[in-house]
Amino acid sequence: MGEVIVITSGKGGVGKTTTTANLGVGLALAQKKVVLIDADIGLRNLDVVMGLENRIVYDLVDVVEGRCRVKQALIRDKRYDNLFLLPAAQTRDKNAVSPEQMKKLCEELKQEFDFVLVDCPAGIEQGFRNAIAGADRALIVTTPEVSAVRDADRIIGLLEAAEIKSFRLVINRLRPEMVKRGDMLDIDDILEILAIELIGVIPDDEKIIISTNRGEQVVTNANDSPAGKAYLNIAQRLLGETVPFLDLYQNQSFFSRLKRLIGLGG
Amino acid sequence: MNKYAVEFKGTKEGVTIYCLEGADFTEILSDLAAKLRQRASFFGDAEVSIDLGNRELTEEEREALITTVTKNSRLRLKSIHSSQEKAPAITSAKRQGEMEDLSLDGFKEGRALVIKRTLRSGQYIRYPGHVIVLGDVNPGAEIAADGDIYVFGTLRGIAHAGANGDRTASVVALRLAPTQLRIADVISRAPDHDDLPDQPEYAYVQDLRILIAAITAKQNT
Repeated sequence: MGEVIVITSGKGGVGKTTTTANLGVGLALAQKKVVLIDADIGLRNLDVVMGLENRIVYDLVDVVEGRCRVKQALIRDKRYDNLFLLPAAQTRDKNAVSPEQMKKLCEELKQEFDFVLVDCPAGIEQGFRNAIAGADRALIVTTPEVSAVRDADRIIGLLEAAEIKSFRLVINRLRPEMVKRGDMLDIDDILEILAIELIGVIPDDEKIIISTNRGEQVVTNANDSPAGKAYLNIAQRLLGETVPFLDLYQNQSFFSRLKRLIGLGG
Repeated sequence: MNKYAVEFKGTKEGVTIYCLEGADFTEILSDLAAKLRQRASFFGDAEVSIDLGNRELTEEEREALITTVTKNSRLRLKSIHSSQEKAPAITSAKRQGEMEDLSLDGFKEGRALVIKRTLRSGQYIRYPGHVIVLGDVNPGAEIAADGDIYVFGTLRGIAHAGANGDRTASVVALRLAPTQLRIADVISRAPDHDDLPDQPEYAYVQDLRILIAAITAKQNT
């Protein structure tokens, strides 16, 4: 029996969809059977990012309203046979689905797949409630910005209230050189507020934009892209492996790295 | 029926009427009316306060009590209070001789809500007493308490102590860095650029302004 993981953030534009797509591919690379659910009904994106837009016949709403079987709506990925997408409907809104229906759908997919990743819409309304309804655990995506961290905090509170006990943090789009200059929140600043376990830090990487526009994921070229490597590491951590965190401060002087290592440096 | 439901005691400050434990409210009213009529001329227009013991009154009962006093005597009613407001635990401890040489100055009593986790953005607590948080209060979270607020962690959200108008209330935190502090009707906001304090602090009202002071070992406030 598989596991349902919701990828959520509160704030929009912090990289939920990119994270969902890359972790999906990362887990598929590890030979796991994975399905991605786009829960952002009315504003679907995951199909575009995956490059599967032109293959959609049925969608999530068709499934819950019984117009097709789940299997008919699942789209197999172009490159990975064990990776599937259940796309969102574009012509409906979030109220087209209820939390109970989502829960039932997740339960059904769990029987068949090792991982069910749910790409949550921004916000805390119906769409969010639907997306978390069937989740066993959550990944909270934030960027090093006060507004994103504030929203992540709100989301964690709501997840706690919904009795989702297991959640971990993904810090996206970190720019080490800005942190060094003191112009960006550091990992420690974020963790001090949110006080939850970190599962990975994705450095800002323009390769993300290039590959997303092509419907590809950076995680497939992990050796060329620091972000791809970071996503691969998170996928492995999801599988329970212990992977050391990337050293994002490689260009720092030996002394400041040493200070950081022994906990003195900022 | 218990004939003695109330007891009168004269003090320097005036007359105190004690409502005895176990008497029910109708007994109190009838006994009080009878005794007031008997002694109306003796008490004259002295000041009187009523001690309710551990009893809590509804608004109607409070009204009835006031009417009984004004109808049956010329006494001037100064206050109606229950022992809870007067800190019974402390006085009973004093009575037992455990704290004889201790002044009650700086003692505060009342019910409290203990929250053993971090309050996150969007979470709101309203409590008619003291609130104690063992954790952080994050930005976007808000606590409103009729009494004091104690945060054993970092307070970054909004704290409103003495929310029912008590300006003697205070806010205490291991790291006091709130978005906004309110005590009774006094409001202050954080300076626009401020670093996290490195020691516990408390906030209180003086001259209609909220002041913040460090808590040091010698302090007795």
